[in-house]
Amino acid sequence: MNSESLYQFSTLTVILLLLAFYGGTYLMTLGIRKKNEDADAFMVSNHRVGFGMGAASMTATWIWAASFYAAATSGYTYGVSGPIHYGLWGALMILFIYPFGRRFRKLAPNAHTLGELIHARHGSSSQLILALSNVLGSVISLMVNFTAAGALVSVLSPLSFQAGVIIAGFGVLLYTLWSGFRASVMTDFAQLVALMAIAIVIIPAVFFAMGGPSELVAGLDNLTVEQANLFSMDAILYQGAPFFVAVLAYAIGNQTISQRLFAVNESHIKPTFITATIGYGAIVIGLGMIGLMALTLGVEPMGGDMNNLIPQMVSGYLPPLFIALFFILVIGSLSSTADSDLSALSAIMMADVYGKNIARGKADPKRMLLVGRLTMIIATAVGIVFASFSLDILVMLVFVGALWGAIVFPVIASCFWNRVTNQAFTTSVLVAMVLFCLARFELLPMTGVSGLFFEVLASIGGGVIVGLMVFGFLGRIAGFIAAALALAAMLVFATDFLRDYTVLLASLTAYGASTVVCVVMSLMSRQEDFDFATIGERVGDYDSQKPSVQPGGAAPAGPAVQH
Amino acid sequence: MTALYGFYVLIWPAITLGVLVVICRAVLRDRRKAKEEQRELV
Repeated sequence: MNSESLYQFSTLTVILLLLAFYGGTYLMTLGIRKKNEDADAFMVSNHRVGFGMGAASMTATWIWAASFYAAATSGYTYGVSGPIHYGLWGALMILFIYPFGRRFRKLAPNAHTLGELIHARHGSSSQLILALSNVLGSVISLMVNFTAAGALVSVLSPLSFQAGVIIAGFGVLLYTLWSGFRASVMTDFAQLVALMAIAIVIIPAVFFAMGGPSELVAGLDNLTVEQANLFSMDAILYQGAPFFVAVLAYAIGNQTISQRLFAVNESHIKPTFITATIGYGAIVIGLGMIGLMALTLGVEPMGGDMNNLIPQMVSGYLPPLFIALFFILVIGSLSSTADSDLSALSAIMMADVYGKNIARGKADPKRMLLVGRLTMIIATAVGIVFASFSLDILVMLVFVGALWGAIVFPVIASCFWNRVTNQAFTTSVLVAMVLFCLARFELLPMTGVSGLFFEVLASIGGGVIVGLMVFGFLGRIAGFIAAALALAAMLVFATDFLRDYTVLLASLTAYGASTVVCVVMSLMSRQEDFDFATIGERVGDYDSQKPSVQPGGAAPAGPAVQH
Repeated sequence: MTALYGFYVLIWPAITLGVLVVICRAVLRDRRKAKEEQRELV
């Protein structure tokens, strides 16, 4: 992995940089330690995190190491529009969850996880499906971030890949273990300030060092017609469209987002999400421009590895100080996401697994904290092992993506439509997963009637995505109209066409199938309409004396509390 | 054309700077308010 062409730090320099970063971060968290431990604060702070800290934390969490590398790769591959087709859709993932997030918060102001809300709405099976998708997502994210640390350390120093993975794993655990989510939010702010300051300096520095705008324009001759086109269809179809499909799924399936949603002061949700959207987009698109610069200069990624593009450009055009800044930029971004994943995982195990399914409303806050910390230790170990052995997680990724797509409609519908039942939720997700596998692995021939069947389902899925996005911002009627128009357009253009794009077909099938099953089963159900007001009563703090009620039962499950 | 491409590349760090200022000012305000209300920032 080491390369002689990239600038190399000495082992001592890299260790000092890492010590300064993780040591400084750890010192920051010492100031927020509490003598009297609080399980609720460990999961969501005080539900009153301000706009500034909330926006910083949301932005820092959503930016991970892969954001820079993938944005630069997109710029290098698709040219002028490439960075936008990566950064814009990633940013919109934050924006599009905000209207639904406000509804989640209104229904369950004291929740810690989205799973708790679903538990109060439906019960354990639906909640555990959501929790499982969140756990898988966070473990994958943890592994990817530790891998990025290993790769960076091995590329820029004589240290091994494994050494980088282990240092990052222990470094993140060190400052997150004691104060949980509060440490994550507090350090996110510092990490984001460093990250933004470095991005503000590095992007123009590389740009002017390579020759500035005139050199960039001169280099446009090296681009293909598609690469030079700001409205490139290649960039839209291969980069933008798959991201568009994933916009809602990523946001719903990610507990790191819902955790911040339940932590931010309710009146600040809107500015927090909008600022995070703009911040994420600007940083990621900006760093993606370095990929475009490399393309115009005719730079070849070393060893054919696109992840080397930014280090190559920084190393080739800037002095060692900037390379050190770039090093901190990547370590900061991956650490802020990894600490959020640890906090998310601990909250899921504390609230969704222990609180709701083991203690069943009689949770002991001290035991909850123990569960949370043990989860962090185990998750870090799993992340380090998976990353160190470079395990192939492709299959896991495929299933998580499908699961996230399958739960989008049932989760959102459950929070707006009082007829959705637990059985409809669970069955729709399971059916969608089965149909996804049939399409994704081509277990059925995608020709004739079966091909048409999946294309119709996928078209419904496309309509659902567009409809939900419009519904979130403009309301029910506009949502239905948008869904109907999108469905009609999909049926016209996707029929006899989409079957050739297996990944897209399967992903859209997951959305479409879960929607159809969920709607049909809910309409056929004779169950009494659900009263949304009961959710707030069923989801409460664990450290307070406030009683909570189990879903579907009149018997109070008791306070979630014992000191 | 040259100015346009220069703008296209440099607008992103400029927006980043704007967001950074907004976030820092908001955090200072949050901190002051938390002190007044005698509670912790997070």
